[in-house]
Amino acid sequence: MITLMNVTKTYKRGANDEVVALREVSVEVGKGEFVFVVGPSGSGKSTLMKLLTCEQAPDQGEVWVAGKNLRTLRSWKVPALRREIGFVFQDFKLLGTKNVRENVAFAMEVIGRSRREIERRVPEVLELVGIEDKAGALPHELSGGQQQRVSIARAFVNDPGILLCDEPTGNLDPTTSVGIMKLLDRINRTGTTVVMATHDQHIVDSMRRRVIELEDGVVVRDQSRGVYGYTG
Amino acid sequence: MSARWRYILTEAFVGLRRNLMMTVAVVLSVTVSLTLLGASLLLSEQVDLATDEWVDKVEVTIFLCDGRTCPAITPEQEQALRRELEAEPIVEEVFYESKQEAYERFTELFRNQPSLIETVDPDILPASFRVKLVDPDQFMVIAAGFAAFPGVEEIIDQQEVLEQFLRFTAIVRNAALVVAGIQLIAAGVLIANTIRVAAFARREQTSVMKLVGANNWYIRLPFVLEGVLAGVFGALLSWGLLYGSVPAITDQLAEDIELMPFISTPEVLAVGPLLLGAGAGIAAFSSVVALRRFLDV
Repeated sequence: MITLMNVTKTYKRGANDEVVALREVSVEVGKGEFVFVVGPSGSGKSTLMKLLTCEQAPDQGEVWVAGKNLRTLRSWKVPALRREIGFVFQDFKLLGTKNVRENVAFAMEVIGRSRREIERRVPEVLELVGIEDKAGALPHELSGGQQQRVSIARAFVNDPGILLCDEPTGNLDPTTSVGIMKLLDRINRTGTTVVMATHDQHIVDSMRRRVIELEDGVVVRDQSRGVYGYTG
Repeated sequence: MSARWRYILTEAFVGLRRNLMMTVAVVLSVTVSLTLLGASLLLSEQVDLATDEWVDKVEVTIFLCDGRTCPAITPEQEQALRRELEAEPIVEEVFYESKQEAYERFTELFRNQPSLIETVDPDILPASFRVKLVDPDQFMVIAAGFAAFPGVEEIIDQQEVLEQFLRFTAIVRNAALVVAGIQLIAAGVLIANTIRVAAFARREQTSVMKLVGANNWYIRLPFVLEGVLAGVFGALLSWGLLYGSVPAITDQLAEDIELMPFISTPEVLAVGPLLLGAGAGIAAFSSVVALRRFLDV
């Protein structure tokens, strides 16, 4: 589903000042896998996520997502790629003027789904994430955990093959985080590949899924059924 | 599909309303510039209409007798006159206009004043020789040499009659064009800025649209349409202004100034599509330029 081959990405901060965000990273994620990407701030987690969504291009190496080589992908085809990917963020990124149902329906409207499809699919997904009783509420009326459920519903409503989650539990307390992880696990069991960047040691340890650890832009560990750190 | 278009239109109108002050500024600025543009175009048309088609080509008009005030010119005299004229070294070219041609030109010229055309008999207008000189200042040579020629009714110095008028209107028209151009640039910049503000105000929504894979045109179109709508409003207003004022002025002038053709409602209506095109075009261009960097993938 996702393949990185010898990917290097550097950022220029000045004439002779370069920061290496990723150095010759090779990773392969199969269909239906659940993968944690861990590592301290500045280790290259965010860069990795941005490469997958075509927000950034690698300096060297190749990135393949959902069967597409991102190096040769034309910019007008980027929207089609992004329809294969659902995004979940630490800060939810919900639209404050739209209620829960509208926020989720918006993701279907803007890619041209029919009204009938939207009316059928949205309640289904709201029920899946367990927020159907709040369908008419505005985001600011919801708790953080509820907002994250809405954002997961929005990410999942178009049936993407891949769910990319960037610190989805970063703003949530531990109990709420467990609920979110259960939800992501359930989505993963439908066959959706889940890639989740996180700092949350407890979650990684309790899930016992594949862990890719980055440090200074290098993959220092790739372990199935791993934990957060060697000593953790 | 219709749901998507409804979204695009709704977003465009919401944008215009949310930014009402800016919208008013944009519409007025487009109105002013296009009114000036339209006025200068109409002035050009007026000048073209009032100065007949010969004015750029000839300096001297020799009207020929048709038997009303002097004995009608005979074909032999006409031939002789043409030969003499063409033999003059200071004459570059000689054109002949028949009575029929003169009448046709007259009806075309005064198409907005049908009552005037009715009063003129088809054969009342004299035939003429139109003469182009090598040196336009040599009019007196022709006037003195041919005034007494048999069959010549009158010799007119076209240059003297029209040159000052033409020079004056050209200055007015060019000044209006320059101001219209500057104002149009200002309107374009204002539209670009408005669209950028609108795009910034809706950046969260835009970024969500990008993430879920909305097409670029679908993201941009509401903003471009917002600019184009403002441009079209401005163009319609300027059209209305010209429509309300120009025919009223020229019709009054046509009553006051005899034997001068004036443009009227048809010419003002004809300039409308051009104003609409210019308004929509400049707005679309500014909007697209404003969005080029802002909404990159």
